[in-house]
Amino acid sequence: MDELKIGTNNGSMQYIVIKVGDESYGINISYVENISRMVHITRVPKVASYLKGVINLRGEVIPVMSLRLKMGLEDDVFTKASRIIILKLEQAGTIGVIVDEVKEVVTLEEEQVEKVAADTSQDHANFVSSVGKCANGLISLLDLNVVATEKE
Amino acid sequence: MDVSQYLEIFLDETKEHLQSLNTQILELEQDSENMDTINEIFRAAHSLKGMAGTMGFKRMQNLTHDMENVFSEVRNGNIKVQPNMIDILFQCLDALEEYTSSIQESADEGTNDNEPLIKALNDILNGGGEAAPAEAKKEEAKAEAPAPAANDKEKWREIKLTDTEKSLYEAAKAEGKTFYGITVKVQESCILKAARAFLVFKALEEHGEIILSKPSSQDIEDEKFDFDFSVITVSDAPLDTLITAIKNVSEIEDAFGAALTDADFAGIEASKDDAPAEEVPAAEAPKKEEAVAKPAATKDVPAKAEKKAVSKPVVNRTVRVDIEKLDSLMNLVSELIIAKNSLVSATNSDEANHGNFSEHIEYLESVTTSLHESVMKVRMVPIESVVSKFPRMIRDLQKTLGKKMELYMTGEETELDRTVVDEIGDPLMHLLRNAADHGLESAELRKERGKPEVGSIFLDAYQDGNNVVIEVRDDGNGIDVDKVRDKAIERGTITPEQAENMSSKEIIDLLFLPSFSTAKQISEVSGRGVGLDVVKSKIEALSGEVEVKSKLGEGSTWIVRLPLTLAIIQALMVTVGGEKYAISLGSIQTIEDIPANEIQFVQSKEVITLRGNVIPIIRLNDVLDIESTKSPEDNLMVVIVKKGDKLAGLVVDELIGQQEIVIKSMGKYISKCKFISGATILGDGEVALILDANALI
Repeated sequence: MDELKIGTNNGSMQYIVIKVGDESYGINISYVENISRMVHITRVPKVASYLKGVINLRGEVIPVMSLRLKMGLEDDVFTKASRIIILKLEQAGTIGVIVDEVKEVVTLEEEQVEKVAADTSQDHANFVSSVGKCANGLISLLDLNVVATEKE
Repeated sequence: MDVSQYLEIFLDETKEHLQSLNTQILELEQDSENMDTINEIFRAAHSLKGMAGTMGFKRMQNLTHDMENVFSEVRNGNIKVQPNMIDILFQCLDALEEYTSSIQESADEGTNDNEPLIKALNDILNGGGEAAPAEAKKEEAKAEAPAPAANDKEKWREIKLTDTEKSLYEAAKAEGKTFYGITVKVQESCILKAARAFLVFKALEEHGEIILSKPSSQDIEDEKFDFDFSVITVSDAPLDTLITAIKNVSEIEDAFGAALTDADFAGIEASKDDAPAEEVPAAEAPKKEEAVAKPAATKDVPAKAEKKAVSKPVVNRTVRVDIEKLDSLMNLVSELIIAKNSLVSATNSDEANHGNFSEHIEYLESVTTSLHESVMKVRMVPIESVVSKFPRMIRDLQKTLGKKMELYMTGEETELDRTVVDEIGDPLMHLLRNAADHGLESAELRKERGKPEVGSIFLDAYQDGNNVVIEVRDDGNGIDVDKVRDKAIERGTITPEQAENMSSKEIIDLLFLPSFSTAKQISEVSGRGVGLDVVKSKIEALSGEVEVKSKLGEGSTWIVRLPLTLAIIQALMVTVGGEKYAISLGSIQTIEDIPANEIQFVQSKEVITLRGNVIPIIRLNDVLDIESTKSPEDNLMVVIVKKGDKLAGLVVDELIGQQEIVIKSMGKYISKCKFISGATILGDGEVALILDANALI
């Protein structure tokens, strides 16, 4: 529930809305360092398949993971809309996450966010900590620390 | 005065002086007559004292002051160097080191006065200074070398009482007069100390008679004293009267005193006879002090631990840079500016001279390469700073272990990156201790086996390609493979069946597992079971490796291999399946073009024969899970790499060329892959992985 505390300003919080597959997800903006266009990703052998490799971000080598593979979807097809969101997390450090598209930034008030009960029937259900309601429909808000740490 | 800005320099220099003292005193132990060494020691002690004083570290100053006194007496030939004196001096150095580390952590020297040590030093001074009693309670040191007492108020107790005083005392007692010992402190701001002292003397003389003073009255007149002096006076007035009289003199800070009793003179009778044999008690006294010194030191520990918890070290790590290295850096930077300027002018001028342009770029390239090199060199320090403390350690080990041994060192000038040098001390120390404790046999056993009684330990450092190799070698018993195997089975580390199939080298490698110690007896020096695994992990953390070679009965060699620098290496860039990889040039032997049909199979593994050597080959595309871009019939491009004396051939698709690369960490998130030692960023911004050839073999 870290997201709910960090960046709280009068109970409202900003989320970057991304698209992975057919669904929209929200990423708490306080974790986002940078959004980068697709760059060359250097494959690293012998690591989990969702780890796509490493990229050069202004002179630093940053590991990059595929949100699609992590969620059990098909492998990424890089398009012009594909982006790498660079996140800075407490435990995992700086990592990049590949998403299909970055749509917008939304501000959600506290009452617009609803916690979801952990649904064990779906594999990646734990990634979603809560659901936000906004004008364009529902957004699943990602618990990034779970996304980054949980093994396949 | 705010001296905090000098703290770094102070610490650096103090460490340097301490190190030099350590080395010199060791030398002195070997050759106690060497005047050069003694002078050198004296100088170092003197500068230490001066520096500590300037920085306001009083306790440190006191201790060094007394050490200096001892050295000065040695220099003047008044004291002969004795083994127990060396021991005490070493203890003093340890105490000074303690002060230093405390200062480094908290900018404060701590509260340990090390009184026992100071006293022991004074005992040496008194014991050897002249044919005087060595009981050393209330003696006067030589006038030029006043020895401050541990307790300021009791300084007068250092005044040496002799037979003459004793008879005077008895006479005075009969007359109903009292002997007083008084210590007078002059204000530090006082300008005419001698004049004030004179007034004090005059005031005392109104009430009685001054028997003795310390320093001598002549020295006091000449202002040869710090801010206090002590007198023994006989008077019929009470002590308070005297003290008040003294305090009436202006610029006197304080005065303390007490009446002398029979007990104070008790030592004289006995010691008179002892005087010719002064060395004996002198030797005994320090030993007692040793015992006292230890509890005092441990008492200090909790206080220190607390401090550690609150504050980080107040001082940053620094590198002392040779001015020549800085000069060459400066030169290169100015060249860089020239190169930049010529580029600017080339772009401004006509388009015609494009040839000129590439010339400038080449120049720029060569300048940046040299600049790179120079910056690297600035980070390099000789390992001397680490290894020079080892002779002292071996000397101490010799005493604790009761074995005779000698340490031979070569290659102290070998340079390594500062970060590596800082970390390598502990592992090396461990290996040396191991060699001394487990490696070397006892003198009797050595004699039996026909070896020289004195064991030898060698520490050799040298550069080997991009690595620095440090070997710790002993001519002891070597590692008993059977014993290690039995122990491993007994501990359940391996099963007897596993043991059957293990080569002796594999068994020796078991020693590096956590909690493995074969010492039958746990000694103070080693054998607590924490050791070799720590050594291994520490060295691996520095991207180095450690290896053992051992021959039973002849000794063992521990080989530590460390990268020259952690930041920048020369590498060969290759492609495998379209991906770029870097291989450190340091591990590469040769590069061979091998026809596909020359590959042979040994135990169903691919090998090639090269100049009589059978070399296993590793197809990198298999290891890296990628398709090779070459067809099976093509010639193989094989990079022969070396690890210790093992060779292996890495099959790559293409060579790109040699390049200087900056090693970047890949972060902990992706550190699972063990034959990738890091990544680097190429000129085009792409990331290339660095292959660790050592892990592949």
